[in-house]
Amino acid sequence: MVKVYGEEIQRMLDGHGIKVGDQIRLKMGNVELDGELMPKANIGSRDTIIIKMADGYNIGMRLTSGLEIKKLADGVPNIASFPKISLKRVESAPDVSLIYTGGTIGSRVDYETGGVSMLLKPEELLYKVPEIQGIANISVDMLMSVASEDLSYHEWGRIAESVAKALNNSARGAIITIGTDAMHYTAAALSFMLKDLNGPVVLTGAQRSSDRGSSDGFINLVCAAQLASKSDIAEVGICMHNDESDGKCAYIRGVKARKMHTSRRDAFRPINDKPMAYVWPSGEIKYAKSYNKVDANKHGKVTVMPNFDPRVAIVKVYPNSNPKIIDFYVNEGYRGIIIEGTGLGHAPVSTGHQDLLWLPHIKYALDNGLIVGMTSQCLYGRVHPNVYKNLRLLSNIGVIYCDDMMAEVAQIKLGWLLGNYKVDEAKAMLNKNIAGEIKSRLEFDEFLV
Amino acid sequence: MEPNDSELCKKIGFMCGIEIHQRLATREKLFCSCPTAVPPSDEKPVGSVKRHQRAVAGELGKIDLSAEYEELKDREFTYNIYDNNACLVEIDEEPPHDLNNDALCIAIAFAKSLKMDIVDEFQTMRKSVVNGSNPSAFQRTMLIGLNGEIETSDGIKTKIMKLFLEEESSGIESSSHNAVVYNTDRLGIPLVEIDTDPYIPTPAAAKSVALTIGTMLRVSGSVQRGLGTIRQDVNVSIRGGSRVEIKGMQELDKMDKFIINEITRQQSLLEIKDTLQSIDAKVHQGMDVTEIFRNTKVKVITGQTEKGGVVIGFRLQGFKGLLGKEVNPERRLGTEISDYAKAAGVNGIIHSDEDMGKYGFSNDELSKLAAALSLGENDAFALIAGQQPHASKAASLAINRAQMCFDGVPLETRGVANTELCTTKFMRPLPTSSRMYPETDVRPIITTAEMLKVAERDAPDIAAERASLKKQLSNESLASNMIMSPRLGMYKRIVSSCQADPVFVANVLLQKFTELKRSGLDVDYIPESSIIDIFSKYADGTVTKQGIDELLKAASSGTTDIASAINKRNLARVKGENLAKLISSISSEIKSTEPDKIRRAIMSKYRLNVDGSELNELLNKSKQ
Repeated sequence: MVKVYGEEIQRMLDGHGIKVGDQIRLKMGNVELDGELMPKANIGSRDTIIIKMADGYNIGMRLTSGLEIKKLADGVPNIASFPKISLKRVESAPDVSLIYTGGTIGSRVDYETGGVSMLLKPEELLYKVPEIQGIANISVDMLMSVASEDLSYHEWGRIAESVAKALNNSARGAIITIGTDAMHYTAAALSFMLKDLNGPVVLTGAQRSSDRGSSDGFINLVCAAQLASKSDIAEVGICMHNDESDGKCAYIRGVKARKMHTSRRDAFRPINDKPMAYVWPSGEIKYAKSYNKVDANKHGKVTVMPNFDPRVAIVKVYPNSNPKIIDFYVNEGYRGIIIEGTGLGHAPVSTGHQDLLWLPHIKYALDNGLIVGMTSQCLYGRVHPNVYKNLRLLSNIGVIYCDDMMAEVAQIKLGWLLGNYKVDEAKAMLNKNIAGEIKSRLEFDEFLV
Repeated sequence: MEPNDSELCKKIGFMCGIEIHQRLATREKLFCSCPTAVPPSDEKPVGSVKRHQRAVAGELGKIDLSAEYEELKDREFTYNIYDNNACLVEIDEEPPHDLNNDALCIAIAFAKSLKMDIVDEFQTMRKSVVNGSNPSAFQRTMLIGLNGEIETSDGIKTKIMKLFLEEESSGIESSSHNAVVYNTDRLGIPLVEIDTDPYIPTPAAAKSVALTIGTMLRVSGSVQRGLGTIRQDVNVSIRGGSRVEIKGMQELDKMDKFIINEITRQQSLLEIKDTLQSIDAKVHQGMDVTEIFRNTKVKVITGQTEKGGVVIGFRLQGFKGLLGKEVNPERRLGTEISDYAKAAGVNGIIHSDEDMGKYGFSNDELSKLAAALSLGENDAFALIAGQQPHASKAASLAINRAQMCFDGVPLETRGVANTELCTTKFMRPLPTSSRMYPETDVRPIITTAEMLKVAERDAPDIAAERASLKKQLSNESLASNMIMSPRLGMYKRIVSSCQADPVFVANVLLQKFTELKRSGLDVDYIPESSIIDIFSKYADGTVTKQGIDELLKAASSGTTDIASAINKRNLARVKGENLAKLISSISSEIKSTEPDKIRRAIMSKYRLNVDGSELNELLNKSKQ
């Protein structure tokens, strides 16, 4: 039994043999309240007893000297109990693996923290989207229940292995339900880790928790199932709301997607790219011009290169920024640094103020064998090593200009390269396209899409 | 029955409670910083979003699988967004901000005024809403106080069970079976809900209690005024009947009539129940009878069958004469059943207690129908024409309602059918116990002694208000009228901001405003600042009493610059020396020094510019 009340209240409850879920009566002066004892959230006062009255309202009564408490009836705490759903197999529908990793899409009210937490069982998730049954035969892989902010390269490797296992068995596609904050990082990592992909690997989630009727997760999940079971896109991508309405989702290439809003449903946008497809819950899919297509004649297995070296940092340049941060990373044994420069890829290299001059510190990193990549904090557009003299100063000493790659993607790519290749190879591959992260052509309608 | 017949009420086991919903006049909404002032009715939305909602498990992991939730799946909700009146919070794209403290203080003050116990911790809850009126699929609400009491001026004491502070829902713009369009401008405005116990003794007392609560709210000066800012719902039942909630009564004045009609309706339904139980009555299953009407001339049928629709009929064994029985003015049992069918998106039912000739049914059709449905002598039938699947759904709802006749009165939420006749119609089944779970995005607020002190200070006090008005207006009936007036707050602000005579101000606000409103002027939309401006101009002698009427007319047609309206309409008062000059010039013009003649001549030309008593004074002086 969860004991979340303050010690004094807990003692009082224990003394009366009262547990969460019991019907109790609280009496204070002439105020008398009957209701079900609720678990106490860790918000609000721990000295307040919370009961749920018959009309559904929770009411808190403070523990003071005159408070009387009485047990009226035993209750059965039925928190998180949920009808088990058995998924019917539809022979005409393809097999799809749903890899569950946590996140808002699988979250609900948590009394420990008072926030939303990951307590959901997969059947509860699918219970709310029964139409998914006709779309695909879903097998749920409860891989982990990790919040966005706690996901790391350790988990990326496990997820990649699970995807490969599923696709090498009967699944034609995979859905990964995941926290949205980490979604584009994970999508980028999987894009590099999964080799010889021959089916869609669809990451999806929710911006509104699925314990509310208005959650965007339901439609995201249905659209993800449509993509995983029908689309011929053999790439890792993110499937989330295209706009603020519950109409269609966009399927954005994993290495080109970015979360651009803290809370809107349509937070995920393609950067320097357009969505690979738009998908409607009905199953309609509208494809973009180019993407890696599923090859029906290809029977090779999906392989995984899960190794990752986390010793790659992102460093942001801004007015008055202290370049000694580079020295810190060098001295910490880092193997790569991705600079998020200004404009076309600048860092202060010709200022007269020695304490603000980045050039010698970057050189220090390069001399120590680190790979230094340059990206732009503009997010949109390509960096360029030549346009200005100051850019040439950086490129001349060996900074690698990372084209139209986002800083986050460059960092993940370099970590993955250093985990799997020799330094020289990694250096050579950093600004060569591997998974669609570098495009030779940026088209005019790929800005603020 | 008489509205105050308490003996009769006791005899029939009358039970009645009311819920008052009142919008608060805070500057910002309850959980975001959007203004609470609703945009002008002609303002166009800047955009809209379309959403779907689903059934979810609440706090206890239980999922509600009611029919309403099933329906939710196929329904599309559109939310219109207005430029200044909705941000990302309203359209469920951003978590709520902190609770509006002003609203909380006002709500606690009301609870104090109603002598309630204030809860120790304010817990914001999510109340599931299935009609889509909130884009988040729930309404945020919190319990503020319990166990209060109010006494009406005629001595009726009523217990106030609960007071809640909650968010206003979206306003409905249009609706059809599978799509509803909502406006989000008013969504999230703070609202207090005040619930009485169900023991209000008579219909007249219900009206009186509602009036008293309304007065308390207005006396506070912290509530919105105007159409739709206050709503009264009534719960009514009689012995053997069922609880029925009546929503949407705009005029408090008619509340007792609505209640009496509900009593009558329940009595009639109970009589029908008794009749049915005494005979061999039964509701039979529906049957597709489209073929019988293949060549019919009945327009309500051909209108559907020509578009591929169907006709479904069902036999109501023993119901002959009962469908036509009036349960309320202009409403029969057939109407009650028909309203259920309409909920599925058809135009209603045709039943055998209606005039079949009027519809244009042929005898051949009727006899074929009688054969198909195996109709007996005492049986009735009902027909539903419509497109599928609506027609089948409508038939099952109507059959279900007919079945309920054997139990008497269904539990229902009813809306207004006819404002003049004070009748109601079925809206939806009465909701089962609320589906509530905590709002985890908002932290609970612990009640502090400081909060209670402020509330105590601000608690509206009707008795004190009445006493002060009586003193100010030295007239009991004027004071009573003023305290009940929606313009009480305005009155107080006018007399505190200018020197105008309170009695005069009260009379203008109570009588002149009503007069102007009846003549079709939009006086309720004159900004309060303009009204204060007009009274100030009167108080400082710039315009006359008559001039005020003209200025109010100008202001109600949109003028806000009062000073220039005075010039433009030639309303400046002629007084003192100028009036004396005017007297002598008129006197020479009409070649008379007789005061009466001069007065008449001046008033016929300068009625709006001259103060009658000043004129008299000057004329009397010149006579001496």
